[in-house]
Parts: sequence; structure tokens; C-alpha cells
Amino acid sequence: MSQIKSLRIVILIVGVLLVLVFIRNSDQNVFKEKAKTAIEAAWNKSNLLTFDQLKKYTTPYLIIDIGDGKRPDSLLFQRAVKITFSQLLDKANRKVLDEANGELILFADDVASASRAWVILNQLGYKNLRILTLRSNPEELNYKFQPDTTARLEQDSL
Amino acid sequence: MNVRIKYSLLLLGVGTILAFLPFHPSDSFLLKSDELLSVAASGENSFTVDQVARMVNREDSTIQLIDLREASQFKECNIPGSINIPFSDLLNPMWEGTFNQRNLRKIFYGNGDQTANYAWAIATGLGYKNNYIMKGGLNEWFKTVMLSRFEGEKISPAENALYETRFNARKAFKQINSLPDSLKSRYFKAKNIKQMKLDGGCQ
Repeated sequence: MSQIKSLRIVILIVGVLLVLVFIRNSDQNVFKEKAKTAIEAAWNKSNLLTFDQLKKYTTPYLIIDIGDGKRPDSLLFQRAVKITFSQLLDKANRKVLDEANGELILFADDVASASRAWVILNQLGYKNLRILTLRSNPEELNYKFQPDTTARLEQDSL
Repeated sequence: MNVRIKYSLLLLGVGTILAFLPFHPSDSFLLKSDELLSVAASGENSFTVDQVARMVNREDSTIQLIDLREASQFKECNIPGSINIPFSDLLNPMWEGTFNQRNLRKIFYGNGDQTANYAWAIATGLGYKNNYIMKGGLNEWFKTVMLSRFEGEKISPAENALYETRFNARKAFKQINSLPDSLKSRYFKAKNIKQMKLDGGCQ
């Protein structure tokens, strides 16, 4: 008993730390993953899925249509839910994401929303998350630069 | 009880908590997810290629263009004034000095929109301020700035200004990227030294 009494300060400090960690951990808005994981997945393009690949899918999936909401419901994919990008993390939508069976496939008309949504969800710890794209490599340069062999820079630039 | 045992127990307790923490303070996002989402959805974090062309022409010192492509692609052609930070190397502490400059507008670009938006979200999530993307990337730059032609009989002052902006940016792009590799290396070396001096570093 006297030993526990003498350890009061230690127990108190560790207890307070535990409570703080618990509070931080229970906050759903705190990112828990390393940024490196997003870079690796994005770099090797393992997070992309083309329409052709989707057609051959046999595993369960749910498409999250994060367009601006202007597209009529009739143009929605099968097995899709419409969630506006700005409301992606609302409580009800988080529930949809959490309870989804199988892969989560993000789709948006603009690449910006889909890419940003993917990073946010990836860093929140959502696994099996992909972006539906029209092309397998959206980062391909469609043009070839032709150097002008007569071009010269002013000397003071060098 | 011995003070040393007390400290040991305290350290052991704190160490155990740290060991089981699921997040990694040094390379995890600082912003909360709802904060990042609201900035991302605001739509106020991109520039068009014409806006970038204007900045390039006036050698705007409040921006830093960041080319996210691989070094080989960067060497082949890049927008004048760009530095190369390959996306795969984004977290390298070497770039901290560039990202940390609060008043410098960092404009990310790749060939398309995707990599730039990933980089934007990661840099913003990590707590760096003033991040932007160039909409459409280099594909849009080529389409709008490099290949655009004025076709018509009359040109309005606004159209003329836009055409001149694109023409000058195109000229600068061609000049820099047409240099032989040896001169290009010298040019970028000189530019890096100039940048390091501005950052307060040494040669």
C-alpha cells in the first residue's frame, strides 16, 4: 500500500497521458496513417482502376460518386452512392463508407476531387480504396516538345 | 520508494504509450480531415495555365513552380522557373525549405491533374501553407500556351493581351528547353545557386 502511495505521481502522470491519448485516438477526424503510404500507392498507380477492369470485377465493391451532384440519378452506376465531395466526411456518409462491403471505388467528373478525396480517405485509414479512371495512365504527356535549335539564351542568364 | 525506480516506471509507462500510438507525428497529417476537406472543396487553390504564363513572363518572385515529374521528364522540358521535386521524393527533408516558405505560393504541376492534386493534398495535410495546382498540367500548357494560334480578322485588346502572354511564355519555354543539355545544366545550376542565396543558404 505504501509503495502504491509513493507511486501516486507516476500513476497520475501515466493516467493523464493515457486519457489524452484516448481522447486523441477517439477523434475520427485525426489522420492516423503515414503520408508515405499515400505516396507509394499513388506512385505505383495501384490505386487506379479503369472501366475495363471494373467490368471484369467479380469481388464486391461500392462506387462513391463524388461529383458535384448535378448528374441525374439515372446516370449513376450500378452499386453506386452519390456523395458530394464537400460532404464526404459527414456523419451519415462516414457510416456509408465504414459499412461498405468490399472495395470502395471513387469516381468524379473532375480528377481533382477524386484525387484529393482518395488522399484524405487513404490517410484516414480506409483500405481497398481506388479511383475509377478513363485511362490507365492519366499522367501521360500527350505532346512531344520539339526543341528549336536556333534558340539562344542571353549570356547573363548563364 | 527509490526515486530512480519512480523515474524508470514513469519512463516505462510513457514509452509503452508512445509505442502503441497509432499515428506518427513527424510524417502524419497535421490538419484534421474535416479541415483538409473544407480547404480542398473550396476550389480556391488552382491557377489556370494562362495565369501561370503571366507569372512566368513577369518572373513573379512570389511563386515557385514545382514540377512533380521524374528528373528525366523534367530535363526534357519544363516550365521556366520550375524546380523539380519528383512526386516519389516529396517527403524528402531536402525540400522542407521550399515548402516552409509561408509567403511563397507553391504551384504543383505534372503532365495531367492527378499527381498535382495528390501532392497538393499531401502538402496541405502536412501543414504547409499556400499550395496551388496548375489546372490541367503540362498537357493543358501545351494545348493552350504552346499550340494556340489566333485565327480571325479582328483582335480585341483583351484577346491581344492574352495572345501576347501566351506568345511570350511560349518563347521563354522554347528558349530554355531548346538549350543543349550542357548549357541547360549550367543554367539550372546557376538558378539553384541563386535560389540558395535567396534562401540564406551557402554555396
